[in-house]
Amino acid sequence: MTGAVIAQPSMAARLTGARVGRRRTVVDRSMRTIAMGAAFLCALPLAAVLFFVAANGLSALSLDLITKPPRALGIGGGAANAVVGTLQMVPLAALIAVPVGVLGAVYIAEFANSRSARVIRFCADVLVGMPSILIGVFVFTFLVLPFKQFNGFAGSVALAVIMIPVVMRTTEESLHLVPNSLREASLALGVPAWRTVLSVVLRTGLPGILTGSMLAIARAMGETAPLLFTALGSRVVNVGDFGRPMDSLPLFIYVNARQPVDALNQQAWGAAFLLLLIVLIINVAVRARSWGRRIG
Amino acid sequence: MTNRASRLASLAFGAIVVIAGCTSPGATTGPTTGGQASGPPASGGMSQPQVPSGNVTLSGAGATFPALLYQVWIEKFGEAHSNVTVDYQAIGSGGGIKAITQQTVDFGASDAAMKDEEIAALPAGTKILHVPTALGAVVVIFNLAGADGSAIKKLNLDGDTIAGVFLGKITTWNDPAIAALNADVASNLPATPIKVIHRSDGSGTTNAFTTYLATVSSEWKDSVGAGKEVNWPTGDGAPGNDGVSGGVKTADGRIGYVELQYAVVSGLSSAAVKNANGKFVAGSSAGVTAAAEGAVDAFPDDFRAAPIINGPGDDTYPIAAYTYLLLYQDQTDATKGQALTAFLHWALTDGQSEEKAIGYAPLPAPIQQKALEELHRITTGGSPIWPM
Repeated sequence: MTGAVIAQPSMAARLTGARVGRRRTVVDRSMRTIAMGAAFLCALPLAAVLFFVAANGLSALSLDLITKPPRALGIGGGAANAVVGTLQMVPLAALIAVPVGVLGAVYIAEFANSRSARVIRFCADVLVGMPSILIGVFVFTFLVLPFKQFNGFAGSVALAVIMIPVVMRTTEESLHLVPNSLREASLALGVPAWRTVLSVVLRTGLPGILTGSMLAIARAMGETAPLLFTALGSRVVNVGDFGRPMDSLPLFIYVNARQPVDALNQQAWGAAFLLLLIVLIINVAVRARSWGRRIG
Repeated sequence: MTNRASRLASLAFGAIVVIAGCTSPGATTGPTTGGQASGPPASGGMSQPQVPSGNVTLSGAGATFPALLYQVWIEKFGEAHSNVTVDYQAIGSGGGIKAITQQTVDFGASDAAMKDEEIAALPAGTKILHVPTALGAVVVIFNLAGADGSAIKKLNLDGDTIAGVFLGKITTWNDPAIAALNADVASNLPATPIKVIHRSDGSGTTNAFTTYLATVSSEWKDSVGAGKEVNWPTGDGAPGNDGVSGGVKTADGRIGYVELQYAVVSGLSSAAVKNANGKFVAGSSAGVTAAAEGAVDAFPDDFRAAPIINGPGDDTYPIAAYTYLLLYQDQTDATKGQALTAFLHWALTDGQSEEKAIGYAPLPAPIQQKALEELHRITTGGSPIWPM
């Protein structure tokens, strides 16, 4: 009797339980599918960009594109001005940004009190999110207007301003990963603080610093906006004269992709493919390194 | 830096010269223009300005319309004088005037003469010379598939209709106003909506086109007006002549306005426009030359000519304009000044013969002569670079 009384509600509970369970399964499955779809959607643009740029750019990529200066209507011309410009402005920008970024990170990771470290970190994070065109305008007002000349140096400085916070934040992260026991051991052996930072902390954090620097370089290499007002772009293959306008691969793509001339559009695709290759190689190399470390 | 800047300035002068050569309406006139203009001007002193011997780089920026001509000029001039490098960046007429005002270039380029207030904005003591280099026609380009699916290549338009389209009042291609002008293809005009593409940057092409619209339509004059930049009642903006022709090319039903040259290289059709004599004339360097020759007497002494709108003559294309190189009258760097003067001289003479082949109109002979005389006014440190 009592068993039956108890069994009835439990039967009903089991029935509704089964229904709830099924509904939960359905909701779970569909949400999981949606989430999986979203995850694929995130990867899709990369695949699409790779595919379209490769499909259009592969045939346009040739030795002429890299070695020849541009010509009127694109006939027989190339993108040597852009290749040479990028290969000069980006390294100079790295030369400015990496020391500043690394030293800044050393200061906030090793020496600053927590309050000033927080302020600097906040500033760097805001700078990372700053629209790059504003950085171009800013550099224009103090490196182009006073000298009355668009110049490659201003372009490098604009790129460096973009790179500095990236280098600084990644370096700081990697310095925080250096175990404190290493610092203490070094100091206990009587090594001065500066030497500890240089030979122990920086050395241990070096892979992380390299990763950050390479990512910053890849980012700067693809920037167009900060160069519009600074390096301006140039149809001349400018080797070494940072006082004059310089071209870069993104500027070359920007200018030539909108020309109503097929040959120039083709060269823009070729330049896009070249830029993609360089940036991809840097990114993959960096990620492969860090994967290797994690696994090994 | 200043040395470099002055060298750049002379480059800019050079570019201006090149541009001037481009504009001449020689295509139709034949003997008076272009080809024959290559001899040095009959003046005393040096028969032609000397090219400096050292390496010089001139940098200039501005109008997109003459960019193709300048690129060709720069290549040809560079073949003859490999020590002179001219770097021209096509950033738009507004950008060219801005750059020369801020003194960030050796020379600027614009399809619209500088306005009084733009001249007033120049740094104190700076004088700018306008050197015309070529003439251009502003043509109305379109990309339209007919009702039967085949591309429509020829259309006649008049001022009222063009104004109606750009005012947003005529919104489909089979509008009665368009059909009435095109009896032969009227049945093939589709109901496709008209999409206007206009310039997004300050542009001499826009200046010429809106001057035309303000001339033919009082409604346009009152509600929009004329200038390098206006508040467009309808349509999307695109940067540069290249941007507009590229934009029109991408989709069916689009209409825009560009320099003739850009219609030619992009392969887009352009409309025949009704001129002052009631004839429908397609944009061509011949039509521009006819317009320029009709307006030679009206060419002002300060060279700042207004666009040539609705000039007389059966063959005259109704929307034409000079394009200019803008240079500092006094060159701070003597070497750059020399190179720029020599480049301009070459452009106004030998360069003129390059124009027709790539779809530009060389300068009419009297204007070419005036432009060459203007080169005598370029100085460095107060003394002329190319004395009379």
